[in-house]
This record gives sequence, C-alpha cells and structure tokens, in this order.
Amino acid sequence: MGAPAGEGKILILATESCAYPGADAVGQAHITYPANTYILKVKAPVLFPEEFYLRCFDKGISGIIVMSCGVECPYEGAYEALAKRIDRVYQLMKQRGLDIRRLRLTSICTVCTRAFVNEVKQMQEVIRELGPPGSETKTSEEAAAAAESA
Amino acid sequence: MEEKRNLASDGSDAPRVGIYICHCGGNISDHVDVEVLCEKAEKIPGVAVARRNMFMCSDPGQELIMEDIRSGKVNRIVVASCSPSLHEMTFRSALERAGANPYVYEHANIREQVSWVHHGEPATEKAFQLISAAAAKARLLEPLEPLRVEARRHATVIGAGIAGLRAAVDLADRGFQVALLEKTPFAGGRVARLDRLAPTGEAASEAILSLARRVMEHPAITFYPCAQVVGFDGYVGNFSLELQVEPPAAEDAVPPSNLPPAGDGEPVFVPSRGVLLGPLPTEKGRIQVETGVVVLATGFKPYTPRKGEYGYGELPEVMTLPQFIEALRDAQADGSVLMLSGRPIRSIAMIHCVGSRQIPGIHEEDASGYLNEYCSRTCCSATLFAANQVRTRYPETRVFEFYRDIRAYGRGQEELYQEAARNKVLFLRFEPEDPPRVERSDGSSGTPLVVRVKDALTFGEEVQVPADLVVLAVGMEPTGIQDLVDLMKLPVGADRFLLEVHPKLRPVELATTGLLLAGTCQAPMDVSEACNAASAAASKAASLLAKGYVQLDPFVAEVDMEKCQGTGSCVEACLADGAIELVDVVVNGETVRRARVVQALCLGCGACVAACPSGAIQVKGSTLAQFEAMVDAIASHEAA
Amino acid sequence: MGINQTLSYDALVVGGGIAGLQAALDLADQDYSVAVVERDASIGGTMIRLSKVFPTLDCASCITTPKMAAAAHHPKITILTYCELESMEKDGQGRVRAVVRKKPRYVDEDKCIGCRQCEYHCPVYVPDPDQGNFAARKAICVPFSNAVPQIAVMDPDHCMLCGTCAKVCPTGAVVYDQKPETLIIEALTAVVATGFSVTPLEDKAQYGSGTIPNVITGLQMERLLAPHGPYNRVLRPSDGMEPDSIAFVQCAGSRDKSMGIPYCSRICCMYAIKQAMLLSGALPLADITIYYMDIRAFGKGYEQFFQNAQAMGIQFVKAKVALIEPGEDGSVTVRYEDQMSGGTTQVSHDLVVLSSGKVPGWNPQGRCPLTVGPDGFISGPEPKLAPTRTVEEGIFAAGAAVGLKDIVDSIAEASAAAMHAANYLESRKKGLGAVA
Repeated sequence: MGAPAGEGKILILATESCAYPGADAVGQAHITYPANTYILKVKAPVLFPEEFYLRCFDKGISGIIVMSCGVECPYEGAYEALAKRIDRVYQLMKQRGLDIRRLRLTSICTVCTRAFVNEVKQMQEVIRELGPPGSETKTSEEAAAAAESA
Repeated sequence: MEEKRNLASDGSDAPRVGIYICHCGGNISDHVDVEVLCEKAEKIPGVAVARRNMFMCSDPGQELIMEDIRSGKVNRIVVASCSPSLHEMTFRSALERAGANPYVYEHANIREQVSWVHHGEPATEKAFQLISAAAAKARLLEPLEPLRVEARRHATVIGAGIAGLRAAVDLADRGFQVALLEKTPFAGGRVARLDRLAPTGEAASEAILSLARRVMEHPAITFYPCAQVVGFDGYVGNFSLELQVEPPAAEDAVPPSNLPPAGDGEPVFVPSRGVLLGPLPTEKGRIQVETGVVVLATGFKPYTPRKGEYGYGELPEVMTLPQFIEALRDAQADGSVLMLSGRPIRSIAMIHCVGSRQIPGIHEEDASGYLNEYCSRTCCSATLFAANQVRTRYPETRVFEFYRDIRAYGRGQEELYQEAARNKVLFLRFEPEDPPRVERSDGSSGTPLVVRVKDALTFGEEVQVPADLVVLAVGMEPTGIQDLVDLMKLPVGADRFLLEVHPKLRPVELATTGLLLAGTCQAPMDVSEACNAASAAASKAASLLAKGYVQLDPFVAEVDMEKCQGTGSCVEACLADGAIELVDVVVNGETVRRARVVQALCLGCGACVAACPSGAIQVKGSTLAQFEAMVDAIASHEAA
Repeated sequence: MGINQTLSYDALVVGGGIAGLQAALDLADQDYSVAVVERDASIGGTMIRLSKVFPTLDCASCITTPKMAAAAHHPKITILTYCELESMEKDGQGRVRAVVRKKPRYVDEDKCIGCRQCEYHCPVYVPDPDQGNFAARKAICVPFSNAVPQIAVMDPDHCMLCGTCAKVCPTGAVVYDQKPETLIIEALTAVVATGFSVTPLEDKAQYGSGTIPNVITGLQMERLLAPHGPYNRVLRPSDGMEPDSIAFVQCAGSRDKSMGIPYCSRICCMYAIKQAMLLSGALPLADITIYYMDIRAFGKGYEQFFQNAQAMGIQFVKAKVALIEPGEDGSVTVRYEDQMSGGTTQVSHDLVVLSSGKVPGWNPQGRCPLTVGPDGFISGPEPKLAPTRTVEEGIFAAGAAVGLKDIVDSIAEASAAAMHAANYLESRKKGLGAVA
C-alpha cells in the first residue's frame, strides 16, 4: 500500500552527531514508523535560513521536524541561534497562514529511539489533521493576500 | 592530484551520476525491491548508470564502482546501502583508488532508515526518493581537497591512573613528547587502593611502580600533579590546554618522606595514595600546554551505596569491597580468625551487584535520577579473590557470597570461582526482586548482623546467615568529570561513561578527531583491559601524529568573493572564535572589505550561511543549493 | 611466485581475522610495512562468518568488510592467504624469521579474476563448512560471497578432474598440478592473532557426541541466521521444519572439567542471547529457552542487552543440562536439574543449539618458542600491564590467541599489540641504525 496522496511528506533535518545516529538506532532496533519521513543529515541545522523552511512548505512538504542535539550540540551557541531562527520562522509562517505546528524543533540523542518515533507520530497526526500546506483555515485577509500573490 | 581534480570538475564534462544499490545480503532487498529501484534510478535526470550488488561494500561491489569511474562512465557517485556511519569512508576511499576525488560522493541510507523500519511498497518508494535526493545533491557536488594541518608530535594524557601511565609510556616510547596530567598529587589512581590484583595476585603497588619508574626516567614525559584542565581549544594536531595547578589541599598534604629523592631515585609507593613522581606545586598557577592529541584516562569511582542500602551508613559492620580490600591489606597477615579494629570476624557476608545491574522498577534511582543498569565487570572476580584471601589466611573466618550471576569471564577467573568452592566459600543466589536483607541480629545468631535471603540455589528457601561483617561489592561509576565534558564537549552515553564512536569500528576514539579514550572512563575494565585500551589509544595517537601532519575533512565554509558584500553578518554569526575575519581586498582598483575563512578553525556548522544576506558563504560539501535540490527531489511526486 | 622466496617487512601478522587485521591496519597507518599470513583462503576470520554481532546488532559483514577491504587495499599491507605458518623464530640478529607454506589453490592467483565461471560449471557438490555444512558448494569456488581476495580455490579431495573448470576459465587460471610453495618472511616484529576454534562436539557423549539430528553448534546457528545463510531463513536441518521451540544449552564444552575445559569461553552467553533475540525476530511465535549456569553479560551495553532479551520473552532457565537425547520426529530431549523446583526435568525442543566452548586456534608448540598457559592459550610475562607481550621479545599476541575474548576486546587488544610492536620496531630501527 503506497502512501495515500495528500498524506504529505515529513522532512526531518537530523544532526549528524545526535539525531541521525538516533534514527539509525531506531533502524537497528527495527522499530517501524511511517515511511513518509525523509531524513536529511546536517552538521547543524543552524545553517538553514528562514526562507529555506518556507520554501520547503511551498514545495509541498507538509511538516518539518528539526532534530537537533539540543544543548548537547557540539557547536557551542548553535542551538541557541537555531532556536531564535525557528522563532522567526514561526512568525513568518503565521503571516502566511501556515499552522506553526508544521514545524517542530526538538532534540534527539543517539539512543533516543522512543523519542524519535514519538516525534514522527505526533507530526503525522498534525499533518493528517491539517492536510497539505496552505490548506489551513485562513483568515479572510490572509486568504485574500494569498489569492492576490497567486 | 591534478588528475583527480580534472576528472570531476572539468566544466565541459556534465555530471554523470552512478547509482550503486546494495542488497546487503537481504537486509535491504528483503524489504525493498532493489531491481525495480535500480531500473527507476537509471531514469533519474543526470544518472548515467544504476547498478546493484549483494554486498556493495565487498571487493566486487567496490570494483563495480571503480570500473565505472575508470572507464569515464560516471563522475559522481551515489551508494544506497546501510548507514553512512558504516561505509561512507569505505566508498570514498574506493573513489580515491579509482582516481576520482573522494568527495564527489553522496550516500543514501536505505537500510537503517528504510528496509529496517518500513515494509512493502512504501519502503521501495521511500528508498527511491532518498536515492533521487542523493542523486540531486550528487549532480551539484564539486571535488574537494582535504585540509592538511601540521600536527605537533606531542600528546597529553589526562589522568595518571594505571591507564594514563600506560598511555604516557607508550606514547613517549613512540617518540612523542607527553604531558601527563593528574588532579591529585599521586600517580596510580584507583589501583593504588588495591592490594593484589585478581586473578593472578600481582602486587598492585608493583604494577604502578613499574610504569611510574618509566614515567620518571623518560625525558619525553612531563608530569603535572595537582593539575586540572580549565581551558581547551583547538583541533587535532593543535590543541591548547590551560592547566590550573594548585598546592595540594591540607587533607592531601604529603609527608616529605614520601617525596621521591632527587636524581634517579626510586619512586615511593604510598599505600592507598599512589606514587609521587616529582615535586608538587607550591603555589597556584596556570600552565599552557600545546599538544597534538588528548587521551582521556580519567578513570572511575566506586559506587557509594545509599544510606540504608543493605544497612550501609547505618550499621557500622557494613562496608564496601574497596574499603574491605584496604582493611584486609592492613590486617595482621594471618591467624585463625580475621581481626578488624580489634573485633574478630568469624563470618563475612559478601553481597554482589551493589550499584550495578540495577533494574528500573526494582532499584532506586540516585539523587540525579540515574540507575546503573550496566554490569561493573570487575567486582565478581575481585570479590572471589578477596574471599579466597580470607579463607586461606584465616581458616576460621567463614565467607558467604550472595550473588545473581558469577561473572568470572576472563582468563584465570573461573579458576578463582573453583578455588572459592574448594575453599568452602558458600554461595547463595538471589533474584533482583528478592535481594538479601541485612538486619541487626536479635542476638540469637551470636553475630551483630544477620543476612536473610531467598536462596534460589536451594529452591527459594529462606536462609538466614549470621554475619560479623557485610561487604558490598560496589560497582564502578565514571569519575565526576562534568567540567571536562562541558569544556571539551565530550559525548557521554546513557550509562554516563564516555561514549566511543563505535564499539568495534573505532573503539577508543571520540567523534572529535584527536580525542581518545583510555580505560575506565569509557566503561568498567580490569587492569589488563584498561592497559590494553590505553595502548590502543596510544596506537591511534601514533597513527595521527606519526607523519607530523593530519589530514582533515574539507567541509568548511567558503566565501564567494563575487557575491560577498562585506556586511560582516557572517563574522557576527560565527560560533568559532576567529574562524571568519573581515579583510581588505582590492577589487577593480577599490579597496573593499570582504569575509575570509580561517579553515583550520572553521567548524563547518554553517551558522554563517543562514546569516549571509547575499548567499555568498557556503559550507563545502553541503551547500544550501544542494539541500534545496534534495528537498525538490523528496517533494516530487514521482514514485518508484 | 618462486619456491623459497624470501620477503621482508617491518612487521608480520599471523592470522587475518579481526584482531590480525586491526593490528595490521594500526601498524600500516603508522607507515610500517606489514605482511598478514592467513591460513584460510579468505581473510576475515570467524567474524566474517557471523550473522550479526552483539550488543549493537550490526551485521557482522558490515563491520568486518570495511576492515578487510582497508587492509587489502592498504599500500603498506601485503596479504598472503591460504598460507600455513610452519615455524617462526628469531634469527641471530634478533629478526623474526617465519617459514610459511603456501598451500596450492590449484588456481593461479595472478590470473584468476573471480568471475566464478569455474564454480558455476563445476559438477561436484561438496558440503560447505562456511554454511555450517547445511548447504553445498562446488569443488572449485570462491570461498564465500564477501571473501577477500575473490580468488577461487579447488578442493582436491573432491575434484573429479573432469576438466570443466579449466575449459570454462576465461583466463586459463586453473592449474591442476600446482605445488605447495615455501616462503620465508623476515620481519623486525610479529603479532600472533591466531584466534580460536570450537570445542569438538565428538568429545561430549552426554550431548550426543555430535550425532543427534537437530543439535547444532552456535556457529551453525550463526549461518541459519545470516541474511545470506543456507536456507535464507531459520529451518531445522533434519527435515526443513520451522522450529517452534528452540533451546540453547550454555557451557557446552566450557566450564566442564569432564572435557578438559575448565575455563569460561567468555563469549557464549552473549552470542546465545543475541541469537535468541534474532530468532525471536525471525520466528515470533517460537518459544526460546536458554539453559545457563551464570549469565555473563559483562561488557559495555551487554547487561542492558540481556535485560532486553528477558523483556522480549526469552526464557532463561538456570540449570546445567545433564543429558541430550534424540526424541520423536526429529525433536530433541533435554534433561536438566531444575534449580527452582528441584528434581530432574525433561523438556522436548524442536532444535537445540549448543553454545559450544572454544579452544585455541593454533598451538605454537614445536613451531615457535612461545609459551602457553594451562588453558592452552598463549601466555606472557606481563598479563596486567602489557597483556600482548609474549616470552619472546619482539613477538606479540592479540585477540583470542591470548585468551578468549569478544570482538570489542579483541579489536582493542589488537591495537594495543600494534602499539607495543611499533615501539619495539622503533627501538630495533634505532639499534640497527646505530650498528650501521
């Protein structure tokens, strides 16, 4: 059975020193989770500018989970900078009428298998509820703006 | 080198991606339709060929890739197989052997993140999209040259316990200068508190002295007692450590008779303390050490039982095994009955697995919420050894051992167990949910304590053992090194010991190149195992430093001078001190400010990338454009 | 390669299993030239024949093949497979001098391209020890799929000399009259990493002396579990039935004075637990029982692994199995003394795995002036501070050759041996330099 169209895709930005090995640990334990999840290995998600996230939603990605190392981050200060950036992305998402639950910042360690699966499941529920990006109930103002820009 | 560069960066030569899909002997192909995948992958834009193999990592698998490179069929490589942590390096080196630049390579993880977690059609579909994404990135990959960093032929060892001493001697013999740091005045660590070493019975003091003599004699080793690391900086080959040295605290004060004599004198072993290897600091000071690698040999501390755990801290007749070993060492050599503090000890109850093999729901977490779920590995043999010592030296003193499993795993250890049986040591086995109970005796036993247990060896019968003394075989915990963990950003496992990169592939290395592990800071070990780990760490250090330079991954930030506006946002965003600087350059006769990356300091984190308003700075090997291309491929609706 | 060729290297490593390969890599990475002499037709040792490895459950091949490939491709490492060490001693100048017999493969190593045409066309099937003898291979074949080097080897005991292989070989590599050769290897230092063998089942009458159907060894179970194993799934060898009840008998040939093996083989508890976990994944409905004396899960992450196995429903029964007998319809009867309830209990299982003990893989006696302990493993003068030193200065030993150990400990010890060997090399080189 393929992923039903409209189920959408979840992009996972996983840090190479924590979350990516964490996802590998889930694999080593053979714990099943939804297949509409795509993991990109990144050194530190602080690399991505605000627009990157917005463009992902434009491309149809339904949810993004940033799986960082949290305070364990090997790059001192990177997590704090990332958290600030994600806050700004939330502002921009609100302006565009995107439900901010579509983007989640979390930290996953190399052995956090349960946490990994929980995050995926939660995001799965969110995107099931919301549908594809942009289909959220919009205020008339925002809808008008969206229509205009389209 | 020139050839390699040409192969992939030749502008006239469009990217031709080769895709190589591994069956992993069924690990992948049982859940992912590799044949379909291969057919579809060949049709991805920019892909010249897609192939599959039972084991892509095997020689014939690698040969497939190398042949396609050599024949010019492909100039960008994607391997879809297990996690890159296992084989990314394998395949990069295959590229190199075929004459290609090792960095025109991208890995798709279709085992850990596909076939082991998804099944049926969605698995194949996801594998295809990951491969498309990897191919999309591969098209944009450029050849890179590794950074070459000069390396100091100098090593620093933190901790002068048995592992630290071993590592220091090995490194110095190999021709490196060595700084050996110790936070106490003494070398020898925990081994100094032991008497004889299980199972063979060598004197612990001799083990320490034989290495200590070599440390003292070796002109290449500088010993820093009473030293703590307070500053850490740099990268492999060029680390800087700042040490704080302080005169020993009053309770550590050392009688002059313990000081080593001047010149080539014999070091003196002070029981329970260790060996002094040189003069101690007389005033507070800071010392800068410039070094090539750092070996962590910070050791362990014995578990301290909670107050009331088996009566510890409440009943004076309850002590830990390390305390008992010291008491036994200091007791009169023999007699019919062991006397401790003037008290005859006719019956000893030894309880295993105290602070080890703790089980959630049965055992109580410590103050910080941790359980020691691991086995401490050394206590079974140490307990058996002590029991045998008691039984041979004091035939009238009986010994009872309360255990869950006797883990006499190592060479000569099973013999200790058999010897204990011959010595009439009595064994009682308990289940973790029914641990022995240590109680004040009502007087009928003739001993101050009794230990009650449901003995699994006699079909769960409740047994009561009279005890003059209860010895708790406490486990090992890592030494409190939170300061070092924070300062050096050391990875720590769920068991709180330092965490190696991979237990088999890189067992004594940390993720930061040049940081190495020796001994019980990594896991419980006995002296032989700690010395092996220390020598292994020295061997890895030798591989890194022997050539006088280290090659590093080229994944650092790079400025596009055409696009750079000199705003300085990157400098502001940079997380590594001094890794980006603004410099004046002349462009079209005009002096302008531009950003410049100091490569050896750049962490490659990319904080600058997000901050640059003109997209002028990128991290080599993972550019924003590459990530965007991957997202495009993932978002696309093409299905496998 | 001519007869009585003499080859010189900085270091000689005896044994191309995981310990030998790690020692060779560590030395070569320090720029010393190294020769690895391996008795089998492929390097990789026991580890490459395993399914998955504890406690990470990585596939064994995935950890071994990178080291095999790295060693095979290292510019400073020469690998000599299918070579038996005849003798090794120090010469008058303190150099290590080894006499090595290169066994005939009946295939020209330089010509063979590993295309397996000979194997595909050979009409003779022979039981395949690398598949636990559960499957057949051809009388001429590349030893196994991920073997290094990929060079065919002929089994002269079974070859019918039909000539097919020679006819189909595209490079004319088959040489029916190939003779053994003798090589002399000179080196400044040596590392002995000769590993272990399995205690022979024939020696244990109470467990059927190896004659009861469906009583197999741990290594055979590894093959049943391997992704590229003989049946591609776990089946009972006698009749191909999917077993519903599987038992592991621990300490079968360890901690057993009746077999002359009083010591603990150190790895059997963990490999049995691992196999039990893999089985419960492969056969979710099967009952799995481990009969044990003590569970020795002592290494990093091992105890947690054991606890996971218990949580998965694997039964651990503390008992020494007294007798194993054939039962009805291919079943196996296990008789043991039950320590929880007393008395003798008898249980029938579909398949029984003997967690067989281990013995040294090589005896230096008469070949090399090394000493062994009462357990038969190589002994040395400094078991605490330098466990890899032997009584012969400049010759070191690592891995199971110096006492049984698991992969993690073998790898660490191999690097330790390499460190000591490198330091010995440095001192020798200085000494030789001074003389010159």
